[in-house]
Amino acid sequence: MASEKKPELGSVLVIGGCGFLGHHVVRVLLRDYICSVCVIDLRCTRNRRPESDGVQYFEADITDAARLEEIFNQVKPQVVVHTASPPAQSNDSVSHALFKKVNVNGTAAIIKACQQTGVTALVYTSSASVMSDNKSDLINADERWPVIRGAQQSEYYSETKAAAEELVLQANRSAAAPNLLTCSIRPSGIMGEGDTMTLYHLIKLYQNGKTSVQVGDNDNLFDFTYVENVAHGHLLAAVALLQTSKLKIAPLDHERVDGEAFIITNDSPVYFWDFCRAVWNAAGSPHGTEHVWVLPRDVGIVLGFLSEVFFGIIRKPPTFNRQRIIYSCMTRYYDISKAKKRLGYKPLVPLDEAVRRSVKWTLDQQKGEKLQ
Amino acid sequence: MGAFTKAAYFLLHPNQLRSIVQWKVWHDPVHKRDPSKETETEKACFRHLELTSRSFSAVIQELNPELLMPICLFYLVLRGLDTIEDDMTIDLAKKEPLLRGFADLMEIDGWTFTENGPNEKDRELLVHFDDVISELKKVKKPYYDIIREITVKMGNGMADYALNAEHNTNGVNTIEEYELYCHYVAGLVGEGLTRLFVESDLANPALLERMELTESMGQFLQKTNIIRDIHEDFVDKRRFWPKTIWSKYVNNWEDMFKLENREKALQCSSEMVLNALKHTEECLFYMAGIRDQSVFNFVAIPQAMAIATLELVFRNPAIFERNVKITKGDACQLMMESTQNLRVLCEVFRRYARRIHKKNDPRDPNYLAISVQCGKIEQFIESIFPTQDPKKIALTQVQNTNAESVNTMDTGETTFLVASVLGVLFVIGGLMMGAAWLMGARFDMAYDDITSRVGTLVKGAAEVSSVTVSSITSIPTTVVHQEL
Repeated sequence: MASEKKPELGSVLVIGGCGFLGHHVVRVLLRDYICSVCVIDLRCTRNRRPESDGVQYFEADITDAARLEEIFNQVKPQVVVHTASPPAQSNDSVSHALFKKVNVNGTAAIIKACQQTGVTALVYTSSASVMSDNKSDLINADERWPVIRGAQQSEYYSETKAAAEELVLQANRSAAAPNLLTCSIRPSGIMGEGDTMTLYHLIKLYQNGKTSVQVGDNDNLFDFTYVENVAHGHLLAAVALLQTSKLKIAPLDHERVDGEAFIITNDSPVYFWDFCRAVWNAAGSPHGTEHVWVLPRDVGIVLGFLSEVFFGIIRKPPTFNRQRIIYSCMTRYYDISKAKKRLGYKPLVPLDEAVRRSVKWTLDQQKGEKLQ
Repeated sequence: MGAFTKAAYFLLHPNQLRSIVQWKVWHDPVHKRDPSKETETEKACFRHLELTSRSFSAVIQELNPELLMPICLFYLVLRGLDTIEDDMTIDLAKKEPLLRGFADLMEIDGWTFTENGPNEKDRELLVHFDDVISELKKVKKPYYDIIREITVKMGNGMADYALNAEHNTNGVNTIEEYELYCHYVAGLVGEGLTRLFVESDLANPALLERMELTESMGQFLQKTNIIRDIHEDFVDKRRFWPKTIWSKYVNNWEDMFKLENREKALQCSSEMVLNALKHTEECLFYMAGIRDQSVFNFVAIPQAMAIATLELVFRNPAIFERNVKITKGDACQLMMESTQNLRVLCEVFRRYARRIHKKNDPRDPNYLAISVQCGKIEQFIESIFPTQDPKKIALTQVQNTNAESVNTMDTGETTFLVASVLGVLFVIGGLMMGAAWLMGARFDMAYDDITSRVGTLVKGAAEVSSVTVSSITSIPTTVVHQEL
């Protein structure tokens, strides 16, 4: 990047720019692009760039349409990258309401603000899970696979992400604002510095000495994606949308970026338990695989059910359930040829390097917590 | 192995024996050469082929007649070159012009070479090289030109290596040197073969535009051999493993073979395996371009053997102590599977990729990279032969959604169906009883008879009736469910 001329993105507004993915988008913007950066987030205290980077921070709730419009009018962004989303961890009615409010209503408000203030490009962070029914395999799936909606979609979080994606893609060249171009990025299994979910839980498993059980035969491939690569994918999409906006005529169907969804991965599907073991090894595990006890998938599901019943009786959320067993045995990997061809996407950081960096960050965080 | 140990081995490994028997019994060559129609020199060439090559002789002899002789001769010419290069009894000053000029020598009628050392294993080939030369004269011009051109390149390459003192004392240093060496000994042969396949219209001409695919075919085979032969080469005081790689694990090459460094040596070998595995996708891609079954077999068998060999040497400490090779039974099974089609061959690659990933050790620094590479092989195979069809998935999804709206009426419909089935049974039963009564049936006597027996049956009756009722009512429900 350094030797080439950096691409220009004008004024960029990152929504959720203090979040896990969002702050990496900000970092990559400052590193690889010529642009001015503004951030909207619910709280702007964590993951904040130093003053010298010149990033402007605005605290706002994205469901507050009036406040959004006020900020949009002040910033006048050309490009909006919308990464904001609540963590998908819990699964109760309160969090369902939150998913709906932030993901669907919030995205609708952002689209409206974009349309009213003449934004050129809107890039939305969707999720590759919108194509999964959370039980069937996805084998080398690409964007031709259907989005799973409604009663077929067992995860309400994915349902709201899909609904928001639909809104975003419908807003592309829509009658309300024909000059607004939009696209959607569907990352799979994001992990990296700042991740408090996937890696955090995996490392905890090792620290609690729970690396000796493997459910299933471990031939199932899974896509984990380093957060910087995901951020890179978003910004390539933004560049492509800006280029499209300068064209006099609409691009050919097989070259189009606007109105399209793109799956983004590390382009390295990996066996599920191999990934876990690589993380454990990076976290200091001295183990090979001799101590591993393989639990057949069906037995795992029975145990998961028993655990759900047990925790149901003692009225606590189960630490171990059937869905987890299913996830750990599921094949779920994607073909990202579309992003490679149309966005020129290629992961910047390979998976092994990504694991090293992210595990180191997580361990450093833990040390910091202990010191405090 | 003695006959007894052999018998005991097959008793314990019946699958191995089965594969061997299957191959011997069921393998049906696409083409078979016909010695009765061959000239004396042709026969002599095939004799030389059988004497000089163990692995290639059979597959060459089953090739499409169009390429049978050209490829047999191509092999013999290269083997002739190799026999000169290998012979340490020939003085370098004499050797160099022989290697560089070999393509001209092989145009001289009656040329033979008798100055090989007495222990050189293929010296007989050069002693009777006039047989090869007279057959070469009969080869079609386009084929001959290809053979000649590769012979020139190969001879010069060999001469350069023979003169390269650095290479001869220290072996291969960088990965580039390693790959260049593999190019000279295998990539060039591949180039010649691809051009012969395309020239004879037995392969897709697009292969010529993507020569890196051909290169990968050769690199994959040669690298696998180099990894497998580490011990043999060490004994012969040769080293082909690049220093850039092994120096990450040990300080001196000899240390690789010391028992206390075994884990380090294994990690080094896995980096070598990883380096070889990167060619597999291109190899599969290449083989998709072959249009003739016999040519497919010819290229696929060595590839299948190579992936199996890589699995065998992967994290196998025995490679530092002795020669390892795949068992005869496995070899026969692999030959069966690689003489069918690309799909079956892909299954072989997938199977061995998974075995490699199962042997992978998390403590190995190459662990995740190897796992990713195995995943890449699987993904590539999926891209040629997809398991899932998005259109079908979309269709079943629509059906499921529809089924759900039907399901909401499920209980109502089931009750209705059960009622109508029972109603029909009742009406037909009534009609039959009515008909019987009309024809003079005595229901009163039957009733008395039944009531008299009821006393004794009363206990069992309850059970029987409940079973009957449940079986009657369950039939329509299951039918309905099956319909849906």
